Amino acid sequence: MNASPVIAVTGLHRGDNPQPGSAVIRSLRRVYPELRIIGLVYDSLESGLFSEEDAPDAAFTMSYPGAGEEAFWERLDAIREIERFDVLIPCLDAEMGPLVDAPEKLRERGIHACLPSAESFKCRDKSKLAELCARTHCRTPQTIAVNDVNSLHQAAAALGGNVFIKGRFYEARHAITPAAREAAYWHMLEQWGAPVLVQENVQGEEFNVVGLGDGRGHILGSCSIRKMLRTSSGKGFGGMIIRDPQLDAIAQSLIAELRWNGPFELEFVKSEGPQGEYCLIEINPRFPAWCDFPSSLNCNLPAAAFELAMGWQPREPLRHAIPGKFFIRHAIDMTGDLCDLAALTTIGQFFRQPREFIPYPASSRPH
Amino acid sequence: MKLASLSTRVHSSSQPHDPAQSVSLSAEPASFQFHTVTWQADGFGFDATSGEFFTASPTALIVMQALGEGLPRPQILDRLTTRFEVARSTAERDLESFLAELVHIGLTQDSN
Repeated sequence: MNASPVIAVTGLHRGDNPQPGSAVIRSLRRVYPELRIIGLVYDSLESGLFSEEDAPDAAFTMSYPGAGEEAFWERLDAIREIERFDVLIPCLDAEMGPLVDAPEKLRERGIHACLPSAESFKCRDKSKLAELCARTHCRTPQTIAVNDVNSLHQAAAALGGNVFIKGRFYEARHAITPAAREAAYWHMLEQWGAPVLVQENVQGEEFNVVGLGDGRGHILGSCSIRKMLRTSSGKGFGGMIIRDPQLDAIAQSLIAELRWNGPFELEFVKSEGPQGEYCLIEINPRFPAWCDFPSSLNCNLPAAAFELAMGWQPREPLRHAIPGKFFIRHAIDMTGDLCDLAALTTIGQFFRQPREFIPYPASSRPH
Repeated sequence: MKLASLSTRVHSSSQPHDPAQSVSLSAEPASFQFHTVTWQADGFGFDATSGEFFTASPTALIVMQALGEGLPRPQILDRLTTRFEVARSTAERDLESFLAELVHIGLTQDSN
């Protein structure tokens, strides 16, 4: 164990489908500015590597989840020979499975993590959501898992034709026609593997809850938003903080039932009209990409997750951020250097150097 | 006097959209809760439980605040006629029309 813990974070790409890693780093540095953070990346062009504000101190390329668990652990060990990190905050759904299924592999390496149990992880799977919601009296859209095109069309017909086709880990496409459904099916299968999910389309406003479970059924802190803006692929691009006791109660009930340990994001649609009900769409087993927004409002969940992983006493009770504050995402261009790209691409690692300052030439315009 | 319409319910659509058209005017039904909406003096209202926000004209603002306080119609009319130079009968007619519009666009359940 290092004198000051070193943290590894994944999911550093903030493109049109932003990953949460950079937001987690930013939140950690709000509380622990001197913390050494390394990025574990799957692509040398993950945008967070080149950020001025939330880049890791060093980065290492990982083996793709498709390469298998053995390759994953081998690569992790090789990285730790160079940079012996103490805490891992995984930020991608696809890498959660191997970690949740084998927590002893983390323990025997001395890596701390704040992860759910394998059982609660499986219970929140998209294909198991209906059972969870039945136990907690929470509404959820009817969802059917399919493995072939015939089942796809049968499922869509059973759900009224107007459906969402969803990938096992990520992505959802609204599909009304058979052709659109098939195209979406093949895309999801290729991207995320089987099964593909066919989900009833519930119309309404979208609400998300980010939080941190203590593993004993309690929520240590949470923040709820209504999505104000969405990209064409349905990703939140802006959100308004709300405080609805009904939504808080549903979230508490779900997390208590799962005895969830670690970060989570609950996604809801509230059906339209005065009697609209919250309908659980999915539970993400990690922080969302907007998790730094509540951190800027004294609800720093990533820092609390780090402290929980280390077994530290929390600094202070987490507050629910004040309704009325909102975030809007803002895409900017960042400058990268070929040296960093080359280091990551050829030897799979790079160590952040102070940025070169390029002064502007003095203006030659006459005054 | 004519009570300006409250149909300028400003909300940010969460439907997939062109980001350039991020904020829209809409009169879709909303789960409007008088007791959870706070109004600013400039007529901007925010519902902390739903995250919806609204705009109201000066006259509509007086009515919405009065409804939020649970005032009966005669007292709402008192406020309107004190604040604006308007005959009580005119104010009453406009108030009825406004309350009916609230029901029509789904912001309130009934006009009683």
